[in-house]
Amino acid sequence: MSVQTSETKVVRGACPQDCPDTCAFLYHVEDGKLVEVTGDPDHPMTRGGLCVKLKNFAEHHYHPDRLLYPMQRIGPKGSGKFERISWDQALERIRTEWTKIIDQYGAQAIMPHAYLGHQGTINGLTSGDAFFNRLGSTVAEKTYCESGSSTAWIMTVGPTGGLDVESLAYSKYIIVWGMNMMNTNLHAWPFIMEAKSNGAKIVVIDPVRTRTAKQADWHIAIRPGTDGALALGMMNVIIAEDLVDRDYVGSYTVGFEDLAARAAEFPPERVAEITGIKANDIRKLAREYASAQPSAIRQGVAVERSPGGGDAIRLITMLPALVGAWRHVGGGTIEMPIWEFPFNFDFMCRPDWIRPGTRVVNELQLGAALTGELKLDPPIKSLFVYNSNPVSQAPNAAKIVEGLMREDLFTVTSELFITDTAKYSDILLPAAMQAEVYDLMVTWGHLYAQLNQPAIKPAGECVANSELFRRLARTMGFSDDHFKLSDEEMVVGSYHWDAPAFQGITIEKLKEKGWIRLNVGSPSERAPHAKGNFKTPSGKCEFKSSMAANGNFVVEVWRSGYSGMQPGGYVDPVPNFIPSVESREANPDLASRYPLNLVSPKPHAFLNTQYGNEAVQQRRQGEQLIIINPQDAAARGIGAGSYVRVFNDRGTFEAKAEVSDDVMAGLLLTNVGHWPGHNRTGTAVNSTTAPRHSNLGNAGAYSDNLVEIRPV
Amino acid sequence: MPHIVTDNCAGCRFTDCVSHCPVECFHGDAERVYIDPDVCIDCGACIPACPVHAIYETIDMPDEFTFWVSENAEKAKRLPVLRSRQEPLPTAAARRSELGY
Repeated sequence: MSVQTSETKVVRGACPQDCPDTCAFLYHVEDGKLVEVTGDPDHPMTRGGLCVKLKNFAEHHYHPDRLLYPMQRIGPKGSGKFERISWDQALERIRTEWTKIIDQYGAQAIMPHAYLGHQGTINGLTSGDAFFNRLGSTVAEKTYCESGSSTAWIMTVGPTGGLDVESLAYSKYIIVWGMNMMNTNLHAWPFIMEAKSNGAKIVVIDPVRTRTAKQADWHIAIRPGTDGALALGMMNVIIAEDLVDRDYVGSYTVGFEDLAARAAEFPPERVAEITGIKANDIRKLAREYASAQPSAIRQGVAVERSPGGGDAIRLITMLPALVGAWRHVGGGTIEMPIWEFPFNFDFMCRPDWIRPGTRVVNELQLGAALTGELKLDPPIKSLFVYNSNPVSQAPNAAKIVEGLMREDLFTVTSELFITDTAKYSDILLPAAMQAEVYDLMVTWGHLYAQLNQPAIKPAGECVANSELFRRLARTMGFSDDHFKLSDEEMVVGSYHWDAPAFQGITIEKLKEKGWIRLNVGSPSERAPHAKGNFKTPSGKCEFKSSMAANGNFVVEVWRSGYSGMQPGGYVDPVPNFIPSVESREANPDLASRYPLNLVSPKPHAFLNTQYGNEAVQQRRQGEQLIIINPQDAAARGIGAGSYVRVFNDRGTFEAKAEVSDDVMAGLLLTNVGHWPGHNRTGTAVNSTTAPRHSNLGNAGAYSDNLVEIRPV
Repeated sequence: MPHIVTDNCAGCRFTDCVSHCPVECFHGDAERVYIDPDVCIDCGACIPACPVHAIYETIDMPDEFTFWVSENAEKAKRLPVLRSRQEPLPTAAARRSELGY
């Protein structure tokens, strides 16, 4: 008689995705195979549930299209024709090409391109920084998202975590400003529901009546890009009606008189014209927000995606100090609490290796950089893409494709799948997926350190980014100790473990428990700025910013730790409303040809493009839709369910029309994340967006986009 | 795709699902609960929580449950939202064993 036994185990991990929730995982493994990934029921945010995006995460590891081996291109660029090669062959080809380029043009002719396709400490945003700084490449500015908010936040309150989302349970008035939380910050929503059941009022400010807006007590529909004007209008009312917390302002802020003078320029009637919100609603919002304490604002990244986005974030971030909301548990504002984590960025990024005068190229300018429009000297001769998919996610996609088609550009991509970007590569390198790697996960939405432990062996010849850059360092002959560190040594080196926030946290404990809350006080007691204690140069909330004097800057974490070659440019010490570039007021000629403002938030069932190639997720998400107000649809003869062409001078894509007054007249919505190559015309929304920046931090201004639509 | 509560809930009403739902999409009467498809965010956290396997996602439900799609949508709109887990019905244990769980 034979007895068959199977070995089952549960391994603790955490979600790798660029999402504020960073859920705690339990990997369920049977006989070396990942069979299920579930949420940890004991984690205060995860609460046992993941989300629609991660529903088939175990199967995703075994997707038949997964890139398992190094490959080299055998067809024309973009044809998607590749053949398998060995790691040694791939690395040797990279060494040969890069050595040639460095000899002829210098190492700055090589440009890395990365973002947050993985959110680990040693495999994420900064995972290639040390290698590329050592190589002497161009420094790539990674400002896809949050960079404008980071600059604005640091100018105003300094690198503080601000309000904890878990403390929202204690708020009496919650404004969700530019975020569809039920899609993109799901695990914070129960704290808002808890506040609501305790009598809190929930207000959503969003151009679109999203599913989150529908659940709110009050949805305020605002024109995209006018958030700064609304914040100034609220301030105007708060100051005029003496709803200011004068003691708090006197003790813990600087520049009140200057801010009051600026707000005086924005009476509700003027703000109503700019924002499309009724003047009386602006007054009501201001009064309620100031009076119902503790009041809280959950800021979304959407606010930064306009030319005035940076100043809008500064203004919104000032509101809690003006009304004294920070005094209370549950009062203040949430942008991203990442600044509470004691990172050792000098170790992670090795900015000491950057040669003085090294140039910076912004990733959102990739098309212009590759096609010669930026007139770079030396030109970019090689692009190394990891953790990112610019053909889908960066603006002005057609220009990027034009650049990637250059026969003299040597492109290497490390990927999970052959994406719309990867298909233009000369060499493909297979990347490991989350259940296969070791990492301490970075989060921008809560206050827990979380260790992801490998549950299964990497598929095929896939490697984690930490190992990828070790191999590349060896290939390029770098003998530095940094590139000989183990994964655990890299994780340990990446944090200041003796910092107060990490008291009580050790690798050993993380291995056992999976996650540990930072030592920053409990959600029911934490009021980090009850007595000022802001992390600005003055120690106060700066209505008038002392950091503005040095001009516009990108926070160093988004630029490989580099402090040189900042963008500069004038920054008003007192924030102002900066209007959009593509609007009827600013550019009537453009608006007469392209009268509709297209916004492109994240999809429900994909995480940017990740999972966009899973058949079951495609069914959940549906095809590329565009939501049109009935008035705009009727004027163009567009019926619900018909296909439309969306276009402007930059490009075009096609989508299926959904006619709904969830969007106001003049506004269109489509999601970013459908794989362009899966769409009807091989293009998606970023074929129409402009490579334009927000006024701070070189963030993308994706919402500043005028288009026209026609039936197909 | 939204989730639905099917017939197994009737007579049980365990409501473990409610405590796992992050968005308060469950509504109920004295007999059973329903999901509001406009509020459900498809996370699926409720499915393993149900002791009697009453909940399905509409994309992979057996055909026999098609009836429950409109039934959930209509009833959820009319009934009060459930915010926390409640005591199961007195008949729950017997019904569960009858259903074989």
